[in-house]
Amino acid sequence: MKRPGPLLTLLVGVLLGLSMLAFNTATGTRSAPSSSAAEPERPPSAEAPAASSPAAPPRAPAPDGAYTGRTDDDSAAVAVTVRDRRAVAYYCDGRARESWLRGEVRDDGGMRLTGKDGAELNGTLRQGRRIRGTVDAGGGHQAFTADRAEKPSGPYRATADVRDTTIDGGWVVLKDGGQVGILTRDGTPGPAPRIDPETGVAAVDGRRITARPVTP
Amino acid sequence: MTVDPNAPTQDVPAPRPRPARYLVPALVGAAVAVALGAYGQVHDPTGTAFNLAGFSSTGAVKSWLATAALFFAVVQVISALMLYGRLPGPSWAGVLHRWSGRVAFLVAVPVAVHCLYAFGYRTSDTRVMWHSLLGCFFFGAFSAKMLLLRFERLPARLLPLVGGLVFTALTIIWLTSALWFFRTFGVTT
Repeated sequence: MKRPGPLLTLLVGVLLGLSMLAFNTATGTRSAPSSSAAEPERPPSAEAPAASSPAAPPRAPAPDGAYTGRTDDDSAAVAVTVRDRRAVAYYCDGRARESWLRGEVRDDGGMRLTGKDGAELNGTLRQGRRIRGTVDAGGGHQAFTADRAEKPSGPYRATADVRDTTIDGGWVVLKDGGQVGILTRDGTPGPAPRIDPETGVAAVDGRRITARPVTP
Repeated sequence: MTVDPNAPTQDVPAPRPRPARYLVPALVGAAVAVALGAYGQVHDPTGTAFNLAGFSSTGAVKSWLATAALFFAVVQVISALMLYGRLPGPSWAGVLHRWSGRVAFLVAVPVAVHCLYAFGYRTSDTRVMWHSLLGCFFFGAFSAKMLLLRFERLPARLLPLVGGLVFTALTIIWLTSALWFFRTFGVTT
């Protein structure tokens, strides 16, 4: 007796693969309508103000969301995403200095995020609206303020290979639609092209790369 | 070489398994792996492809599909141990093994299609190189295993060996892609 099951399994897999390939080829690079625009944003902790009695406000968890802003000297941008008491931040001056930092958010809204090469961000999230703090990265020490921002603002990242070059891009998409980004090619940082904030697509050396929002 | 016609013969009901016949699954598996790699090398990567509603990016979709595949692969190992009597198991362990395997494979197919269509076969850094290599190897080894299942008598250790190879490959594929994605972009949908 020859069991047909394994062959059928293979056959179904081949058909599935071929049909997806045909679908991809037919639709080209246009992605199917994703819900990125219509995705229901988690309500900004609606119960937090209600639950906290007037006497004890700091027990509420850190409000999840994105925060973006600039350093006080206006030379660099900072984007922070907070989720479930964890935070990821991107610091970027748009030319040469950048750092990805991660860490936890304490109950009082304080955070100490760390990144490569001793980079450090110390900040405090106040009233769920604003993060004020300092960044130590690339030899500098700068104070910054990041305000709560709605989509598509926040930190973005893209990694890709374009013509044998390894690309690593980071962007801060600011509240006003401005962007500060660095594109590192094989380890050498440089200015980044603009990304389309709706789709995350940017053109690098004639190729399309897709940047994604970064979450903790 | 001379043959003694009077030599005692063993009374074997079935013909002795000839190792050469396992060449067919091995060759088919190798052909599958090489074909996938060749397509990934020759095809011009598009960089983008389909996305699913409800996910922020194709990377997230793929990472979760790959995680589902790995989950069912773990079920595969457990149910296989049950079938071989190494673990106590229910009578339906065989059904569990077959169907968890099918689901794991079918869930992995769209991920591979996207990888090959959008990224292609790449060797630019260690992670990507191992992922490309083992991604092709996985589907070849899986094809070989499916074909081996059609043989009636197999050496006792052959299926566990090939199954173990498939599982190991899938695990490393997951470590070099989904885990990397979750660590770089966050555990996101």
